[in-house]
Amino acid sequence: MDCSEFALRLDDLLDGRLHALERKSIEEHLARCSDCRQRHEHAVALLENVRKLTPPALHPGFIDHALSRATRPTARAARPKWRPVPGMALGVALGVFLATRQDPVQAVVLTIDRPETVRLMFNSAKPLKAATLSLALPENVELVGYGGRRELSWQTDLREGGNLMQLPLVVRGATKEELVASLSHGGSSRTFRLKIEIDNAGRSGM
Amino acid sequence: MPPVSPIRRAGAAVSPYRRARPPESNFEDLLRPQVEYLYRLAWRFTGSVADAEDLVQDVLIKLFPRTQQLLEIERLRPWLARVLHNQYVDSVRKRARSPIVELVTGAEGEENPLDALPAAKDGPEEDAERTGQRERILRALDRLNPEQRAVVAMHDVEGYSLEELETMLETPLGTLKSRLHRARQRLRALLPMELFSAGERVEG
Repeated sequence: MDCSEFALRLDDLLDGRLHALERKSIEEHLARCSDCRQRHEHAVALLENVRKLTPPALHPGFIDHALSRATRPTARAARPKWRPVPGMALGVALGVFLATRQDPVQAVVLTIDRPETVRLMFNSAKPLKAATLSLALPENVELVGYGGRRELSWQTDLREGGNLMQLPLVVRGATKEELVASLSHGGSSRTFRLKIEIDNAGRSGM
Repeated sequence: MPPVSPIRRAGAAVSPYRRARPPESNFEDLLRPQVEYLYRLAWRFTGSVADAEDLVQDVLIKLFPRTQQLLEIERLRPWLARVLHNQYVDSVRKRARSPIVELVTGAEGEENPLDALPAAKDGPEEDAERTGQRERILRALDRLNPEQRAVVAMHDVEGYSLEELETMLETPLGTLKSRLHRARQRLRALLPMELFSAGERVEG
């Protein structure tokens, strides 16, 4: 066995998928080749450490909340990743933001009457509990599942680093205003503005 | 959504007692013991608590209308793992097609008190703390494609054999082997041996 053959059989060695003879041949190679021995040790150490990764604990109440949402018909019809504050004591971890530039404005192009998920990625410098996210939707823009409500508000926990907010939006007609999302926590707040443009070409195809 | 047949109990009959119960009760009985497992696997797929919880929620919502079928599945856990896997891959693909707006991290020196909180890239000391072994492994896993990440999670971590995955994911063995090989190769390239010699703890 040479080094290139060893490289080809490394996965099988790691997974215990070698016959006795093959294994013996590899072991003999490892005994005399320090490079391959090092490769093998590296692969084993990496796998061991990947296996040791444990997820953070589930949010308290998630199991009850998730099972309850699954068995409620309204939840199945439309399901953005979070819900308004009233009645939401625990909540699933929601994507949101912090530490963005002041009032940044981005634009997104949507097709009339075609729901699309717009994703906003924000960074939070540290985990925060119970921040308040408010959303002001412009005329002719709806959040799917919220029946034309223009102003919505949620409480959410933020994790450190990137947080993703997914907005299932549908645009019903031309709009000149911007969607405004703001986050407040402990007396501080941040605002994010999203310009919504209409894709007229897309509409003709529907 | 996978068909039920491959791991369906042969000739299984749902007990009259269970048939008579409301679907919500049966669904809860079946799924409640599995939610933590699903979350753990979803976290291994996504690397994010929020995304993992969303993924599990989506799967539960999809499964509830199929409660009657769930009652007939003998080995529920691998069946659920397959549903979760498919949902994960679908969601990544859909996400890739969605319009995305990404914001940049705030400029240093802004006066808003939120900016005074420790940032992810403050200085060498903070950086060293945050880029411990666990974080580096998670970041490396993030750089795998969803199929590669899934096979690492299901085979290398959860211990499903490649033959089991061949059936569960309805994917040829050769394809799975190739995904696993590339995933491991990429991880080794991203995570040098020295990282594992330092004796750092991974558990979190």
